[in-house]
Amino acid sequence: MDETAFQEIAELALQGSGQSIPPEKSYLVEARLSPILRREGFAEVEELLACIKARPNSKLSGEAVAALTSKQTHFFSGRPALEQIVRHILPKMAQASKDGVLRVWCAGGSSGQEAYSLAMMLEESDDEALNGAKVEILSTDICDKITAKARAGRFGHFDVQKGLSIQRLLSHFSRLDTGDWQISKTLAARVGFRVHNLMEEASGLGLFDVILCRNVLSGMARPKRSQALLNLARQLTDNGLLILGSDETANGLITGLAPSKDVRGAYSRKVAADALQTAA
Amino acid sequence: MPVRGDAMKSCLIVDDSRVVRKVAGRIIQDLSFEILEAGDGVQALEHCRKKMPDVILLDWNMPVMNGLDFLRALRRESGGTKPVVVFCSTENDPEHIGEAMRSGANEFIMKPFDADIIESKFAEVGLV
Repeated sequence: MDETAFQEIAELALQGSGQSIPPEKSYLVEARLSPILRREGFAEVEELLACIKARPNSKLSGEAVAALTSKQTHFFSGRPALEQIVRHILPKMAQASKDGVLRVWCAGGSSGQEAYSLAMMLEESDDEALNGAKVEILSTDICDKITAKARAGRFGHFDVQKGLSIQRLLSHFSRLDTGDWQISKTLAARVGFRVHNLMEEASGLGLFDVILCRNVLSGMARPKRSQALLNLARQLTDNGLLILGSDETANGLITGLAPSKDVRGAYSRKVAADALQTAA
Repeated sequence: MPVRGDAMKSCLIVDDSRVVRKVAGRIIQDLSFEILEAGDGVQALEHCRKKMPDVILLDWNMPVMNGLDFLRALRRESGGTKPVVVFCSTENDPEHIGEAMRSGANEFIMKPFDADIIESKFAEVGLV
């Protein structure tokens, strides 16, 4: 792949998903696009680009954009934040809730490990208020293939041994003849999956009490980060919390959203949803 | 420089495959453990009677004394409840795993493993 091709791919990713791919990560482009190249019989990235340019906004273009995003995750990744949500944030919200329904959105949820980890912790919780509430978890990702994989709830030998204790594996999964492990029906019933691009407004997904979007924004160009934050923050309920990755910040990117006074590392909406604005 | 001697935690790797012992040993050494090796359950018990290790990575199928028999014997030894035992086996169906856990194992690694799996499982039992 020559420099021109790399720049065109980087621009495609930027416009499609907000992702910023620096030149030193050009090796990622070829690695992540190789399944599409193989499937379509393309010898090199240039051929894929030519087809995309001939038919912009085609299915192939969307697939390439989705394939370029990172899928890397494991069960209980960033465990302290998950524990904070299930042990402190949701029980408090459950007590204050009128209808007893709480909604959680895992934005950029990849193959579903984050959503299923939350579901496991909810299943294991002995908090009365929480157990009396109905917690719905929605996991979304830009990539339809990874979303289908997440929905299927089947995980391989290596996936189920990273971040997952053997007790949790035995409690929440069953082993298939293929050697893969199937998530239990109880957990699957707690989690929904949708394909969604964080560059697009998300009113169709509804409002959420907790939105998790971890290690997604840090891969985006700054103006795109603002746009994604706006799209996320607009879906927060009045008392809702947005939680980013431990190295990520919303400061300076959006007005009307500020660090929560009660929960460290979380953000809450200080103005009406329609008064939120990207920072200049 | 890594700490040597008593300050360093020890890990006894029990497996009849020399290759597995070497591979696991290099990975666990990088997690700052002193490595000891045994080729079967009887050798492992001899090690433990001299000095109980902090951790035991334990294969199931071995000649002389298999992993499960070793584990049951270990837990009856004086000081034998102390070591954290991480089973590491190709017997990876829920029935076998359940039997190992009921017999006193603390964690279970399904073979084949890689460095990330060992580190993740050691973290689950609070070793790293």
